[in-house]
Amino acid sequence: MSDHLHIQNIHKDFSGLKVLTGVDFKVADKQRHAIIGPNGAGKTTLFNIISGKFKPSSGAILYKGEDISGKPPHLLNRRGLSRSFQISNLFQELTVFENVLTGVRSRHRMRCNFFKRPNSDCTLCAATEAILENVGLINEKDKPASSLSYGKQRALEIAITLSTEPELILLDEPTAGMTREETELAIRMIDRLTKNHTLIIIEHDMDVVFSLAHIISVLHYGTILVSDTPDKIRNDQRVKDAYLGEG
Amino acid sequence: MSDIPVFFLHGLAYAGLLFLVSAGLTLVFGMMNVLNFAHAAMYMLGAYFSYSIMLHATGQFWLSLMLCPVILFVIGGLIERFLLRRVHALGHVQELLLTFGLAYIITEAVKWFWGNYPIAINIPGVLNTTIQIFGITYPVYRLFILCCAVIVGLVMAIILFKTRLGIILRAAVNDSETVNTLGVNVPLVFLGVFAFGAALSGFAGVIAGPLLTIYPGMAQEILIDAFVVIVVGGFGSLGGAVIAALFIGELQSFGVLLFPKLSMALVYMLMAAILVIKPSGLFGEKQ
Amino acid sequence: MKKNYVAYSVMVILFLLGAFMPVILKSYQMNMLTEIIIFTLYAVSYNLLLGYAGLLSFGHAMFFGLGAFVTAIAINHIPGISLINAVLFGLAATIVAGFIIGCLLLRHKGSYFALLTLAFNSLFFVVATKWSSVTGGDDGLSITRPDLNLGFTSISMTNANHFYYVALIVVGIALVFCWYFTQTAMGKSVVLMRENEERMKFLGYNTNASRLILFTFTGALAGLAGCLYALHFQFVSLSAISVDMTTAVLIMAFVGGTGTYWGPILGVFVYILLQNFLSDITDRWAFFMGLIFIFMVIFIPGGLSQVIMNLYQRFFGKKTDDNTEVEETT
Repeated sequence: MSDHLHIQNIHKDFSGLKVLTGVDFKVADKQRHAIIGPNGAGKTTLFNIISGKFKPSSGAILYKGEDISGKPPHLLNRRGLSRSFQISNLFQELTVFENVLTGVRSRHRMRCNFFKRPNSDCTLCAATEAILENVGLINEKDKPASSLSYGKQRALEIAITLSTEPELILLDEPTAGMTREETELAIRMIDRLTKNHTLIIIEHDMDVVFSLAHIISVLHYGTILVSDTPDKIRNDQRVKDAYLGEG
Repeated sequence: MSDIPVFFLHGLAYAGLLFLVSAGLTLVFGMMNVLNFAHAAMYMLGAYFSYSIMLHATGQFWLSLMLCPVILFVIGGLIERFLLRRVHALGHVQELLLTFGLAYIITEAVKWFWGNYPIAINIPGVLNTTIQIFGITYPVYRLFILCCAVIVGLVMAIILFKTRLGIILRAAVNDSETVNTLGVNVPLVFLGVFAFGAALSGFAGVIAGPLLTIYPGMAQEILIDAFVVIVVGGFGSLGGAVIAALFIGELQSFGVLLFPKLSMALVYMLMAAILVIKPSGLFGEKQ
Repeated sequence: MKKNYVAYSVMVILFLLGAFMPVILKSYQMNMLTEIIIFTLYAVSYNLLLGYAGLLSFGHAMFFGLGAFVTAIAINHIPGISLINAVLFGLAATIVAGFIIGCLLLRHKGSYFALLTLAFNSLFFVVATKWSSVTGGDDGLSITRPDLNLGFTSISMTNANHFYYVALIVVGIALVFCWYFTQTAMGKSVVLMRENEERMKFLGYNTNASRLILFTFTGALAGLAGCLYALHFQFVSLSAISVDMTTAVLIMAFVGGTGTYWGPILGVFVYILLQNFLSDITDRWAFFMGLIFIFMVIFIPGGLSQVIMNLYQRFFGKKTDDNTEVEETT
């Protein structure tokens, strides 16, 4: 298996505050990689750097062997990298269908077309409905996003992330704030939808992590403490110290 | 080239006025995130009120200098409390539209009450002399304006950086929501800042009156210069406002001397250059 | 897409009504109607920025005025220039200007955008004032409308009604195109950017480029309106490029309602008729216009179209068909 993503010695500081101090790990093609760690460890900052929101202070991110650090988000998305947000980042006033269509037509290069109407294109509508079917939102497709329940908004968040047909998916705490049942549904959905994709997922819920991930990395105080298979992580003394010792 | 010191001082005097106007503008913007288009209208009202006061109480420049800022403080407070706060919930564009509409009707009202023509105001007796400085004869009044600006600037700096109130104000610039949770009455702070900005602008108007003739277009003229000051200096930065006001004051002044045809366009060229080189302004934080 | 048929049929009906007007109206009324039609294009182009993209510009008059001046200058300096070429000159100038200024404004939104557009408008005004050898300065420029040469036939433009038809057709086509634009991928993207620009970026949209395209596009439409304005009055004064001209379009669009496509068109009618009415009874019409504007900002932010829609809902109890995506946010 080749490396899909290779994070090389990423540092990030915000006007003196060192958030990341040398993050290193590799994600193999079609692998599911979970990042766990206590609050404030820098997980979301790392996502923001990978997805192009921030520039790293130093270090490189190799995407299929090419350095993408500092490239703007829209170019990264066009190359097959898509992320979700910890706090649902939807088009609140639009319908569920239009939310997902936004990503679908971006994928089909219908972003700034002056002459074509996206709603009249059958392929786009079919693709959008297929995604909605997959995440179980097809019955809500004409409701405005703001009217959905919290759990369904999280599902829509994932649907939008998948709508650009990414090869590398970054999910930032997809089950945050969900009930037990919703979480289980979400795990099954993520499992189904991300088969044959490379996935990096940030999660607090250990059930989610251990049932999904092939490899788990523990981010602690801005650096990767350990990176290994779920079984080994479970029994790792350093991880126990980091979690149990300091909460 | 004996004119150079004269033009330099002219530039400084105008920079002083510009600073007085843009300081309030940038403070209100930094704190309340409202770009106040009516700010320069307060400046114009200050000038016209002072004209009326001096008309009725002949030559009472000092009286109007004290009275006008108070009147504008009240007007500013009323605008914030009864108009701006009302549209705040409707969003950013509505706030801009409101202040813009206010600027528009104040200009029209000024045309109505005082007439759509320039009015000259006499320089108050004590200050209507000249002084020998750098070997040239120079009118005292311009130096007076400069002194006013320096004193106001220093007082503002002391309040902002040396007092508890200043800590609250600077914190409110950075993050008004957090400050709200700390038990500070943020709406009251906003009211005060807005009213203070209006008063400062009115004060600038009073002292500008005798220097420049007053006319209904004076608000828009200084508003755009003040905007350029803010773009060049960086939004919400008081230090940036000082430097940029100096820059633009001198540029205006020497522009007239060196390129009389281009003088007004020079300021915009500076602004365009800053936009290309450093879009957030000289001292502005990245957006 | 029932909405679209309604929209297009409304436009066809309005166009046919417009075509009959010269029969009914007197010549001074025809003058006013021509002015209204030209300002309609100006206001709709402004609303694509304000209502759809959420960008409050205080510099729309720089394009309007530039179009007007370049057209007038072309007619005065190039002997025998045809009507179409004069308009194309004006249009080309605004596209270039829109692109250059758009590049400078690219990264700015909200207050910054408002402030910078105002500053650039002032720059244009200053240049027009100072460069009086070309623009005529305070005296303005007088022109004579060239005839419209269509190749097979030539139509005299000395007759005001002939020019009225030209304006009606040009503006009609432009408005249909604008409506279509709001339905296209680009038109939808513009609204989405206003809603949530960050998410757009993470979905592969280059939002800065989109803003630049929109700014240039709306600038060009305003420039086209400016060209027609110069041809209609056969005179261009500095007021065409002044901030007051931006104020006028802002008030027109806002009074009519920025939440719908039709609002600004309604706004132009109301503004110009009201202006004529008020200026008959008082010299201070601008003051009262300002009061109406402030009143609406505070109490009726959706403008007259919001009022009409509320009334419609009250009496017919259902949502109207012609509220576009923009409406849903109010």
